[in-house]
Amino acid sequence: METQKPAQESHGHHHILSTEVALGVGFALLLLTGLTVWIAGVDLGRLNFLVALLVASVKAALVALFFMNLLYDRRENGVIFGTSFLFLAIFLVLTATDLFFRGDVAVKGPLTAFAQSKTAQPKVARPWVATPLLLSQGKMLYSQQCVACHGPEGKGDGPAAGSLTPAPRDFTRAGGWKNGRKPSQVFKTLVEGIPGSAMAPYGTLPAEDRWALAHFVLSLGEAPEADTDEDLLKVGIDVKGGGQVVQEAPSIPLEVAMRRLTRPEPRAAKVGAKIEAESAGGRLYLARCASCHGEAGEGAIARVSGTLDAVRLRTAPLSASQAVGSPAIFESIVSNGLPGLMPGLASLNGTQLSELREHVRKLVAAQQ
Amino acid sequence: MTTTHHHAHHFASANDEFEAAKQGMWVFLVTEVLMFGGLFVAYGIFRGLYPDMFHEAHKFLAVNMGATNTLVLILSSITMVLAVTATQRGRRDRAVLFLVLTFLLAGCFLVVKYFEYAHKFHEGLLPGGYFVNQELKDPKAPLFFSLYFVMTGLHMVHVLVGMGLIAWLFRRTARGEFGPQYYTPVELVGFYWHFVDLVWIYLFPLLYLVG
Ligand code: HEC
Ligand code: HEC
Repeated sequence: METQKPAQESHGHHHILSTEVALGVGFALLLLTGLTVWIAGVDLGRLNFLVALLVASVKAALVALFFMNLLYDRRENGVIFGTSFLFLAIFLVLTATDLFFRGDVAVKGPLTAFAQSKTAQPKVARPWVATPLLLSQGKMLYSQQCVACHGPEGKGDGPAAGSLTPAPRDFTRAGGWKNGRKPSQVFKTLVEGIPGSAMAPYGTLPAEDRWALAHFVLSLGEAPEADTDEDLLKVGIDVKGGGQVVQEAPSIPLEVAMRRLTRPEPRAAKVGAKIEAESAGGRLYLARCASCHGEAGEGAIARVSGTLDAVRLRTAPLSASQAVGSPAIFESIVSNGLPGLMPGLASLNGTQLSELREHVRKLVAAQQ
Repeated sequence: MTTTHHHAHHFASANDEFEAAKQGMWVFLVTEVLMFGGLFVAYGIFRGLYPDMFHEAHKFLAVNMGATNTLVLILSSITMVLAVTATQRGRRDRAVLFLVLTFLLAGCFLVVKYFEYAHKFHEGLLPGGYFVNQELKDPKAPLFFSLYFVMTGLHMVHVLVGMGLIAWLFRRTARGEFGPQYYTPVELVGFYWHFVDLVWIYLFPLLYLVG
């Protein structure tokens, strides 16, 4: 092979890769490429990913050590290059631990808010009438809960707005409000959200906070029309009857929310026998519940919820729920949903609900 | 071999100059790792959040084209090494030949990429809001293609820059400006080119194979 020596006087004792080594390393790289492609076709579950990374890292090491001469280079250059990977690892690990251990907070957040809303004493007697106190309360809440989409000045230009269709409402303009601009109508938006858009229901906030928010966002644009007594009655407030709240927004029993709060992160249940789903309840379950709870109610199905910062929720096996044992609680959960966790199915009638519960009970019985 | 390079006066010797230039290159490559690193972290996070979506979406990439390009880049890395060692040993014709081969292989890479991108455009597999593909139903799938295009796109920009540098080396080598006494630019462009290969070594399995 080559015999000529490197010129000592110019590049010092610089190592020149021999052609054999260069070709050998090249050949190894080609083989390893074949290996990754082949092994990706073999189903190893989660291992596939690790194997692919491992093979890639071996290849990368070969390239760096031989082709980039790092093996023969001054040690400090290896240290310099190596540090970049150290920082990359710190970057990845810190971001990932932050993100993936937030799950608990994500599940508990809405429920905690809900539990508080159920027990908090209202501070204002007639929150549907705007007062400076309510406005400042609304402003504070707005800056926590709404600013990301609706923007600091309510122009619908918050940092999260760019990707949303339909775009968040511009509160400074009077046109284009789907539910209308009276305080009671905005209140209703906050109870129900706007289906098909990123505007979620905020039913977990105490009613007073929802009124405060309604008054605040309306104060950003031109003065809205005032509510009539009928408008207020529509959101459950009987002004003539002394401001009595005649109907509560649909919700679940407080104890269910509290129990959920104290439960550890769910794992999937083991399922014994497979349950026949040909009954009416079974079909309903497959159509409306299985996507989140699993075909056998085994749970641990990750669901991405929340439009703002995507969070992962996992359902618990249905056998962990005491709700299944009580027709009243079960029906209330299924019809009203769980705030921030599970959508309600208000359209089901009594027979359907009991058929559904029958099926769920069979699933629970089959879990070990 | 006529090598006309004189080391700059602030270096004690040509060797010092070479070592300093090389260290500079390593520091530059550190910044490159961190630039691509941000994208790899984004990939890792979103993959962790939406594993099923990544799995579905990655099936829409052409593994055979990705694999071809992996082979092409590895071959080009080999020819680049051979060009460097040929220069170090004073074999100018071989150096020129291997530089030309490296350049052609890089061109090959771009041609394959062109067909791949054209196909993705045609299918509406586009990043973010431009995504119009009907077959891939997952609502989060556009995110995968945002990552795909940004990561492979940034890599492709590096390939283009590399081709420019190789063409420049070719010209200077043909003029006889490099040889056993002075080959700093050849070796350092070589580093850069291997780094481009190194990034692809990770991109290929992460995007095309395991999704
Ligand atoms: C994740 C983004 C997001 C957040 C957070 C958000 N909104 Fe919205 N909001 C929207 C979008 C999008 C629309 C437009 C919906 C449409 O046009 O269908 C909207 C519409 C509205 C409307 C207009 C309803 C109508 O009648 O057209 C009101 C009022 C409103 N939001 C209030 C709020 C308040 C108060 C908060 C904070 C508690 C909030 N929003 C938080 C995205 C968001
Ligand atoms: C969009 C996803 C989703 C759908 C669809 C869904 N659920 Fe849920 N469900 C959840 C989440 C999230 C929870 C709360 C986490 C938990 O306890 O597992 C939950 C909780 C429950 C609970 C237990 C509450 C407790 O803590 O005791 C029952 C019972 C239940 N769901 C029944 C149903 C039934 C029946 C259906 C079909 C009509 C259904 N769910 C549809 C997401 C969903």
